[in-house]
This record gives sequence, C-alpha cells and structure tokens, in this order.
Amino acid sequence: MMTRREQLADEPLPADKDRPYLGGPEPAVEFGRLFDAYARPLHRYLARRVGAETAHDLVSETFLVALNQRHAYDPRRGAARSWLYGIATNLLRRQVRQEVRALQATARSAGHAPGQEASHETRVADRLDAEALATQLAAALAELSDGDRDVLLLTSWAGLDSTEVADALDIPVGTVRSRLHRVRKWLRANAPKVTTAYREEGGNA
Amino acid sequence: MPDQVHDNVRAMWSEDELDGALAALGPADECDDRVFHRAKSELLLAAGSREPLPAPGPEPTRRPARRWAWWVTSVGIVAAAVASVLVVQTVQFSDTIPDAAADQLNLAADRVDAVDGFDEPLQPGQYRYIATHAWWMATMNRNSYLAENLLETWVPADQSQEWLLRRDVTGKRKWVAGSEEQARADGFPIDEPGWPEGEWQAPCGDFFEVEAGDDPCQQKGSWQEPTEKFLAALPRDVDKLYDRLRWETRDHGNDADLEMLVYVADVLRTGLVPPDLRAALYRTLAKVDGLQITEQVANLDGRKGTAYGISAKGERHDVIVDPETGQFIGERKLAEQAVDGLPAGTITQYTSVTTAVVPGMGSKPTG
Repeated sequence: MMTRREQLADEPLPADKDRPYLGGPEPAVEFGRLFDAYARPLHRYLARRVGAETAHDLVSETFLVALNQRHAYDPRRGAARSWLYGIATNLLRRQVRQEVRALQATARSAGHAPGQEASHETRVADRLDAEALATQLAAALAELSDGDRDVLLLTSWAGLDSTEVADALDIPVGTVRSRLHRVRKWLRANAPKVTTAYREEGGNA
Repeated sequence: MPDQVHDNVRAMWSEDELDGALAALGPADECDDRVFHRAKSELLLAAGSREPLPAPGPEPTRRPARRWAWWVTSVGIVAAAVASVLVVQTVQFSDTIPDAAADQLNLAADRVDAVDGFDEPLQPGQYRYIATHAWWMATMNRNSYLAENLLETWVPADQSQEWLLRRDVTGKRKWVAGSEEQARADGFPIDEPGWPEGEWQAPCGDFFEVEAGDDPCQQKGSWQEPTEKFLAALPRDVDKLYDRLRWETRDHGNDADLEMLVYVADVLRTGLVPPDLRAALYRTLAKVDGLQITEQVANLDGRKGTAYGISAKGERHDVIVDPETGQFIGERKLAEQAVDGLPAGTITQYTSVTTAVVPGMGSKPTG
C-alpha cells in the first residue's frame, strides 16, 4: 500500500489561490492574502469556542505559527484553509479547560432559561426555543472528548467539509465521517439527560 | 422536578433540533476592524514586509503596533557586549572620499581572490562548520528585546548527504525599549521561547521539510535559503549579477538600492557562499548607489571589519567584511530614526557568521 507521500510524489504542485506556494522569499504578500481571506471566519469560529478576546490572540498566533511553518505546508496535501484551521485547533487545545468551563457555566444557566417554564404544555418540543436547546447542548459538548468536539464544531461552526476536517486534523476522512455520525447520534440521545444532571448539580451548589 | 421528567421523556432530539441548538449556541459578534488591522500589521512585519500597512478608515492612527514581530538578529558573543554596541555612530566617509566605499569593497573582493586557500575546499568526510550567532528581536508595542540564539550547522562535502543543525535559544535577553515588567503588565506572552530549539539532521539541510514529512533536496533555492545549485547558477560576471539582483529585488522593500544590499546580506549570512561568488557579490555591491563606509573598524563577536551600509527611509543595513581576507564577518540593521520606543541608532538585527572545516559531523573547530 502506498503511503500518502508516495501518492503525492507524482502529483504536480497545484498553484491556485487555495493551495498557494508559501516557500518563496517574500512571504508577506501571500500571507497578507491568506489573512484577508481567513482571519474573520477563523475568528468567528474561535470566538464561539473560547470567547472573542482569546480568539483574537489565537487568530494572531495561528497566522504567526503558519508563517514560521510555511516551509512545512504542502499544497498537495490540503488547502491553506484546512491547514490554518488545523493550526488553530492545535492552539485551541491549550484553552480546552477554559472552553469546557464556559460550556458548563452555560449549561448551569439552563434552569433560568425562559423556554423551560413552558415545557409542560403540549407541543413541548416546538415551544422549547433554540436557546433552551443550546443550553442543553452546552452541557453535552462539555462531556465530549477533545477530538470529538473538534470534528463536530469544525463541521458545524467552521463549515468545513469532511475532507477539510480530515486535512485539518490529519486523520483519515473515513474516521471523520464515522466520528461525526457517532457524535451527533450521542448528542441527540444524551443532550437532554446531561442537562438534567447539570441542573441538579447547579441547584445544589 | 417536572423539568427532569420532561427531559427524560424526550429521549432523542431530531437532526434538525441538534443543528438548531448548534446554531444557537454562542454565535459571536463581529470583531472590530481595528483589531484585525493590528493583527495583520503584526503578521506582515513578521513576514518581513518593510512597509507598514495603511491605516484603516479615516481616523488618524499611530503606526501599527508591532506586538510580536521577529527578526533574525545577532550581536557579540557575550550578552553584556550588546549594551556597548547597541548604538552605533554613523560615520559617512563618502562625504570626503566619494568612491571610498566602492574602492575599498573592490579591494576586499580582490583579497578574496588573492587569499587562496582561506576557503578550503572540503575533502570527503570533512564538514563545513557554520556558527551563526544571532539575536532575535521581539517587539511588543513599545517594549522590545533581543534574544540570543546560537545556530551551528555542519554541511557535508556532498550536500545531498546528511546535514546537522543545532539550535539553542540561550534565554539571554536584552531589553532595548521598554521593560520586561511593562510587557508583562501589558499581557504579552513573553515567556514563550519564540523559536524551536534542538537538533535536526537532514540531507541538503532541509531539516524542516523532513520534519514535516516532505522529501529533502527538492527546494529550488533563493537568496534567503540558497541551495548549492542556486548558488552555482548565479552569474560571477559583475554586470550580470548586478542585473540579476536588480531584477529579483524589483518592487521589494522600501528602497531599491537598500534592498540590493539586504539580499546580498541575506545570502552571505547563510555561510554557504563560495569565494568566487562572494567576490562577485562585493563587486556588485560596490556598484550600488548610496553605498557608504559606515564604520571603518566595526567589532562583531571580537572580529573586526569594515562596515558597508546603505541608508534609506530611516533604516540602515550594513555588511561587515574583513579587509585583510575578504571574509564576511556579519551584518546588522539599525533604526536611524526613533521608532516604536527604540532610540535612533538602535541595532535591530545583528548576525555574525563564522565558518571552519572540521573532521566530522558534530565536531567543533579547535582554537
């Protein structure tokens, strides 16, 4: 079986704007363009995970790490976008405690969400507004492993497709798809239950 | 606990409910344009752009903050030496002797040709040892420091064989503007080392390509990261080399003449330039308008040489050459105007390069 590198050896170097050659002596031009294209979406994604302030630092850091590692970027292996989200995800791992704490805090506030009051009525599901569902979801997300959360949120919040997620996390695309399927199923089944646990914990605290 | 009963009854969300919940959880506000502008400025400066990004919008803004910009810089062997060499007086000999700089640099080029054997060719099994003593400069708003880096490279006679790189960020720092306390108080991540340390081995010196899983010896080479092939292909004819350098530096940097010198310094800094090319580069530089002798006896790591520089747009870049042997000793960059809290005359980039022939990979020259 051929390794990824052997498979790539015969491919020509693509040189389009999504897969730029970054090894040139004047990186400022390409990096300026990458920043314009991806800094804002990257910030929106990171801000949802760790808050706007931390996201700002992470965006800066992501591009500086990318600059320092530009010789390691192989356009044949993935688009620059996936590469940048991969770097950001690695940097995000340092903030994982902060992310989990914030999710737990959101979950504990669930008992005060206005949608909860109407939950005995008929057509309950329709009355639970999206925000109430979101607080339930927050608790469940806090329970996920880091790798599962990355796959889910890179897909849902960053809008990456399975191939891009695979490139970003350097895992096979089949793994991304099966993980995504498993995580979504687990969340659909468990989000309401873990919310209950948090609400009790929050109430007793 | 009616809520619990309700939650437990609803065993499973639909796919749509999950997507709805994901969409509703913590959507972020758009970030301020100025925040992005500052981050982009930092990135471009770190990427070597010498032109500040134009300020966004109509409001008057100060020069963009260079919070985390890095340069390769180097200074004397002992950290304490930094203080004594940080501010250098600009002596413009060319005011009195118009072609002194060009004449002297041409003489140095002649010395390269004459001092035969100084750049010993490598025998099989021998390595060229290149010691680069560098100080990286980090600037965080108005706080700046130089950090000491030691890079040692062993280059085999056949460059497609394994090279060795040792890189040490010594931890020595010299604050040249502001202070550690101030930078810390401003919340900058000053405890991060900034650059990798350790030991790498790879054919063709492609250490980081190999680390990233790429094949070595596939690089095209450039003035900044030259390969043996790239250097061999550069013309030795001075007029042709001059034209080539003009062509490759076109539209780069703030000043066309200064950029010529910057590229020459870039390639000489690698320690890989063979003597015939080095002589040609000196003669090429001698043709560039604005070249001045900026210091007759500049001291770099205890080695003395003549500093040739070009000034433009408030900055100056020097290459320092031993007049006796024509050896390239190092290069440096200075802020000629005060900028970002750095006083005028502050050295912002400083590299000294020493080469020697050694009997094996990892062995150091004696004496």
